[in-house]
Amino acid sequence: MNPLAVLLTLSSVLFALGLFAVLTRRNTILVLVGIELMLNAANLNFIGFWRYGPPDPQLTGPMFVLFGIAIAAAEAAVGLAIILMVFRHTRSTDLNASNSLHG
Amino acid sequence: MTALLILSPLIMLAALGAVWKARPVHAGLLLALTLSLAGMLYIALGAEFLGLVQFMVYVGAVAVLIVFALLITRPRDEIEEIARRPKSVGPGLLCTLPLLATLLYTVDRTLPEAPPGTADLPVRRIGELLFTTHAPAVLAVAILLTAVMLGAALFAREPSKKP
Amino acid sequence: MKTLIAQAAEPSLWSPEWLPLLPKRLVENLLEHFNAPGWLVSIGGIAAGAATVLAVFMTAFALLSLIERKTLARAQNRIGPNRAGPFGILQPVADGIKMLTKEDIVPAKAEKLLHLLAPILIVIPAIMALGVLPYGREWTPVPLELGLLFFFALGALTEVSVFIAGWASGSKFPMLGAMRAISQMVSYELPLVLSAIAVIMVSGTLSLPEIVAHQGGYHLGFLPAWHILTPWGLVGGLVFFIASIGEANRCPFDLPEGESEIVAGHMTEYSGFKYALFFMGEYLGLFAISGLGVTLFLGGWQAPFPGLGFVPSWIWFFAKLAAVIFLFLWIRATFPRLRMDQLMRFGWLALIPMSLLTIPAAGIWTLLHRAGHGLIAWVVTIALLVVPFVIMTVLFNRGLARSNRTYRFAES
Repeated sequence: MNPLAVLLTLSSVLFALGLFAVLTRRNTILVLVGIELMLNAANLNFIGFWRYGPPDPQLTGPMFVLFGIAIAAAEAAVGLAIILMVFRHTRSTDLNASNSLHG
Repeated sequence: MTALLILSPLIMLAALGAVWKARPVHAGLLLALTLSLAGMLYIALGAEFLGLVQFMVYVGAVAVLIVFALLITRPRDEIEEIARRPKSVGPGLLCTLPLLATLLYTVDRTLPEAPPGTADLPVRRIGELLFTTHAPAVLAVAILLTAVMLGAALFAREPSKKP
Repeated sequence: MKTLIAQAAEPSLWSPEWLPLLPKRLVENLLEHFNAPGWLVSIGGIAAGAATVLAVFMTAFALLSLIERKTLARAQNRIGPNRAGPFGILQPVADGIKMLTKEDIVPAKAEKLLHLLAPILIVIPAIMALGVLPYGREWTPVPLELGLLFFFALGALTEVSVFIAGWASGSKFPMLGAMRAISQMVSYELPLVLSAIAVIMVSGTLSLPEIVAHQGGYHLGFLPAWHILTPWGLVGGLVFFIASIGEANRCPFDLPEGESEIVAGHMTEYSGFKYALFFMGEYLGLFAISGLGVTLFLGGWQAPFPGLGFVPSWIWFFAKLAAVIFLFLWIRATFPRLRMDQLMRFGWLALIPMSLLTIPAAGIWTLLHRAGHGLIAWVVTIALLVVPFVIMTVLFNRGLARSNRTYRFAES
């Protein structure tokens, strides 16, 4: 079996699961869980193509993963800070609860 | 290869649990499990540095932050969540299944035979690249992270109450 | 994972330097004698090596639980445990028997599986962390190339397991304890890692044996080249030490299990063997983090004076470890517990800035030393560290003096 195909299948499934969570969950924090899964699927692709691709002295794949992890951490921190702020106003993390601009 | 074949189904199962579990804290803990299994996969593939960084940042910071936020907000929407499922699962699947099918089809059809590949990730080389070729990107990330830290601290601060 | 290439020729089985490796080599020789296949020999060797480390630290754990009580008693003008055996030496055994024979209670509201999993998940990372430390010149159980990173990655696992323990118990105090523990560990892990970065920069490696090897030799013929004896290393070592007290949840940073406030924090609903596991995880974690501190800043197994080469190197490591742990006990006996906001304030406003300062200081130190300006390097780095420290202290204290204490509940 082609190891790259296994990796890519895994990352496709992870991405689809993340998307599913983003679409169906109503709790904002769990939407963030879905986003993390999708980001991780992308990282997995980079690692896969670095590992089973042509040799790359510039290490582009791992570099991208490194930056991706840093960005994901930043995204989670800001996301959770915003969620906590919204929670303070509406006492809820439900996405539908923060609809005060809704006419 | 064996590690890949063992870990991939486990990662998929853990991710499925993270997506499907109705109780929010369970979902958060399963996310931590998914991310740590992915870290082990990185290590098994030869990217030890990335695997350990994944552990430190994703498991130690991101997943822990998520479960911490769940603790603070104490969502009690399990019953609601389960009650809503019949309505939400259909549209959700309708959107994700075509995407998954396309992705899997593409992987199946267009993939070239994998070359043997290299499993060597020298940390010294990563360091050199970070501070030569990727120095602008490192600076940008540094600014971003500083801004994020200040912003998150400002956001999360208790609003000052007037006496 | 990639490990460093092992050492060259092996001397006789009984030389003192190689004594801790004796079980491993005996098992390997025995298996080879019976013509066991190669993988069996290596697995047997690994198992024997791990058993040696575990045996050493389990003994140390038992001894420390007694010594801690004796030291605290001494500091508080008491006698301490003195009933079981002469001088209370059998106290750990008595404690162990008591722990093991107690009833194992699982609260009705607990999540059974997670409640069981938490104590196990706390002990495993602590034991794994002990495996990568270099205890002697020849004795590093698992010489990983990325040992330091591995150590910090295991710290992440501990956080998750503390959370699981607090949440799975399904009651109030464990939850509060877990929230305190997580916010404290996340905050104090930052200065811990940042002060280690300076060491990584100077020694240019993430492998712990190489970091120790880098601290070999002596300045001016007598001053050991340990990192703690440089300006940036002194500051970094102090920050690392304080932050490691926080990571290990020890007094004065023991809010997660503050007995007078929240019973026992995340361990409240545990009893019997599971509680003993928490206890063990905590002490093994203490050994691991102090061992890392010794490795990074105190020169690991390097001897403190030249001409002491005849003493086996692992004795120096354990002597330093004992000294650091005695410091932990001393601090526990003398300092009162902090309040949560004081803890956070101290971590974010004092420890993190100081640990950030050690990074440029270490860089300037290395560059100037490479250029041959040793004296200038001392002056510049000391100035770089002391001036901001003084400014920060002044600002810190001024803010504290201005705000009057308000007693919200004690008055009226």
